[in-house]
Amino acid sequence: MSTCNHKWSMVNIRSGYLVVEGCHKCKARASFFSAEPVPPVDDYQDGEHFWTYLGSSQAVKFDLTCDKCGEVVNLDDMMGLMLSTCREPECEVARIAADQGKGTWIYVALCADSTHATGKCVSDAGIKALTEYFNGNIRDPDKKVIVVPCVKCKSIDTCEGIVIADTGLTDIY
Amino acid sequence: MKVSELAEKSGLNSLNEYKDKVIEGVYISDMVSDIITGAKANGILVTLQTHKSLIAAANLVDVAAIVFVRGKRPTGDVVELAGKAGIGLFVTDMDTWSFATKLNELGIK
Repeated sequence: MSTCNHKWSMVNIRSGYLVVEGCHKCKARASFFSAEPVPPVDDYQDGEHFWTYLGSSQAVKFDLTCDKCGEVVNLDDMMGLMLSTCREPECEVARIAADQGKGTWIYVALCADSTHATGKCVSDAGIKALTEYFNGNIRDPDKKVIVVPCVKCKSIDTCEGIVIADTGLTDIY
Repeated sequence: MKVSELAEKSGLNSLNEYKDKVIEGVYISDMVSDIITGAKANGILVTLQTHKSLIAAANLVDVAAIVFVRGKRPTGDVVELAGKAGIGLFVTDMDTWSFATKLNELGIK
């Protein structure tokens, strides 16, 4: 384990589209980042899933690197961030927010697969680095950010929150 | 310069109560996903965008205040969320270029 008191910076910032797909068979949702000039909209079969394009939004992806030790945390597994406004008593994210109280903001790091069927979500290292990065830049002493993986949501499809995405921004093109 | 001083000197209309922070910079963007990679803590964000996700992004990077140009006004739920975050919301009838020029004249860069 690193003993470095990390000072994180954003690196590998790239622009593209967050493409959201849905399987009409099992109702799962999946998303991926596309750096193509125009986001792909084709339907296709992948194993038991029949993916259909649901929509896309302009998005930015990035990684984090420590200015002190040079460690790089790859955030390819994070599709976006959502400010949680969930009040569902059975949701762990809502409980975390309730326990923290005023001044603490919970942001959910969204992974590609809403079902979490593979057991994967945004990595622990990514969550830790994101939390340290954003808090490291906050100047307001009364404000704190906690980043949690979306696997902690009771259901990411129904949890309430505000996704940081530019949905609809390219609709006129 | 504090946010309240900027508001007074540039004729901004305030939409909510806010923490009167010392301004440390400016970022201009109409993309919320761009804000988290470009805007800085205690900065002023100048934008046409009035969507609620703007506040989610601005709060994450600890923006001090947001100025909506060309008279754009966010809805009540957006104003309420910004208030909880202590982010000042302001409206100006100026366009982005004119307001950026004004900021420059006031020494905010």
